[in-house]
Amino acid sequence: MGISDGSKYAYIAARVRAMKSKLIPKEMYPKFLNMEIPEITRFIGESEYKKNVDEISKKYSGTDLFEHALNENLALTYRKLLDVSQGEANFLITEYLRSWDIWNIKTIIRGKFSGASEDEILEDVVSAGQLRYRDIIEIVKIDTVEGVIAAFAGTPYYSVLKEYSGDLADIEDKLDKMYYSNLLKAASSTENKLFLKYLMKEIDLKNLKLLFRMKRGGMEREDILKMLIPGGFELKDADLNRLSSLSFDEFVRALEDYSYWKAISDVSEELSSLWNVETRLDKYAQSYITSISYYYPLSILPVLSYIISKKIEIDNLRIIVRGKETALKEDIIKTHLVM
Amino acid sequence: MAIKDNIKPTRSELIDLKKKIKLSQSGHKLLKMKRDGLILELFEILEKAKDIRKDVEAQFSLASLKIAIAKSVEGSVVVKSTAFALKDTPELTLVSKNVMGVVVPKIEASSVHKKLDEHGYGLIGTSSRIDEAVDSFEVLVEKIILAAEIETTMKRLLDDIEKTKRRVNALEFKVIPELIEAQNFIILRLEEMERENTFRLKRIKG
Repeated sequence: MGISDGSKYAYIAARVRAMKSKLIPKEMYPKFLNMEIPEITRFIGESEYKKNVDEISKKYSGTDLFEHALNENLALTYRKLLDVSQGEANFLITEYLRSWDIWNIKTIIRGKFSGASEDEILEDVVSAGQLRYRDIIEIVKIDTVEGVIAAFAGTPYYSVLKEYSGDLADIEDKLDKMYYSNLLKAASSTENKLFLKYLMKEIDLKNLKLLFRMKRGGMEREDILKMLIPGGFELKDADLNRLSSLSFDEFVRALEDYSYWKAISDVSEELSSLWNVETRLDKYAQSYITSISYYYPLSILPVLSYIISKKIEIDNLRIIVRGKETALKEDIIKTHLVM
Repeated sequence: MAIKDNIKPTRSELIDLKKKIKLSQSGHKLLKMKRDGLILELFEILEKAKDIRKDVEAQFSLASLKIAIAKSVEGSVVVKSTAFALKDTPELTLVSKNVMGVVVPKIEASSVHKKLDEHGYGLIGTSSRIDEAVDSFEVLVEKIILAAEIETTMKRLLDDIEKTKRRVNALEFKVIPELIEAQNFIILRLEEMERENTFRLKRIKG
């Protein structure tokens, strides 16, 4: 089956099963939509998030408190996964959660680039990866972008960061590409072929979203190709080459040849905004990882499925509360929920 | 009648007055034409101002919706962090142009609405919700700059119309009538002096 020895995953799988049972069932989201913000906040304050809400209630209030409590909970949950996992599972989870380290590095560099204060930067970091919050606090104290980059010497990120020459977007994209490249290497080094397959599909979905955005943004083929992430499952180099040279309408029609078309076909007529497409592709990713995780309960897949489901839960709760705060129409909120 | 008190009823004064009346009448005619021209110009600008105001309001609603969606879906943390990457501020160049003697501003802004890959943040780690929020605010800034130009022009035109109207009215109802009155007074006095002279001469002859 291509899945490594199940006994290695027995403990983490059991822990994750217990953690998964605490996720908010998807039937709750329509109920949240009918509630007022105080009711939702009360519900959340009495749930798994109570401790996080209490901890930061002195610093924030209102929906900011809500959002920061959710982020805090996400960081602690992922940290817990890192703490309770061992061996191969720990290695793969660490690699997968490096996206959060990259997020934090980007935020720190952006903050230093624009001259934001230490507090402003620290408000926007989510220490859900390897980088501990106390380490982030120390790095944020450094004044310059160059100083921050030097602080990462000896980490896997330094090889990319040292290329920084003032172009922030370039370094951010290179960090993201490095993340996927390292993740693919990590997945290939184990026998988790389904994990590798999922990652390749995740790259496909990322590339599809990028293609939609860049095509609509009228970018040139060469610039599009530079931005795409190699190593996809269905969208190989030749496919990316072909798709990037088509016009927007031709590109959308060409997607009919790929399995992802099923996920987006019903919204392909209404592309004035790409929200629908992005949400559909996120739903596709979640349902795909959930379905394959059922087939292989003693593998990294249930852990990965939990990581993704937890992130989606946080996103859904935030969408509902922030959406209600800003008086977004219910159908717009619903469109963005991944259920 | 203060004007009569200060007037010497002489022929040279009469000639001066006639010149002044002629000048005032031609000035009045020109100012009236300027006022009418400015009013026509104002009506044109007014239409543009109405349209741009509507555009700004519509774009503001759209931008508010887009940022609300970006903050809801991506989180305010992501929106704020991405905003840190945007360091460029648009440069505004203020030049002036002349509309019928009224100096109005012309605002030229550089690099407000940028291409997708010029926003300053990486594309791989962001989403279309961020792009759309950024785009809609860039368009909003462009529209606000245009609205500022049009509305300032309109304000300057209105000020100038008001000023011109006051001048036209002053000439029409005060300066010219007073000058004509003074002219009539001098003519009357000169005629009277003429008659007195004739009478005096007749008496000397007699």
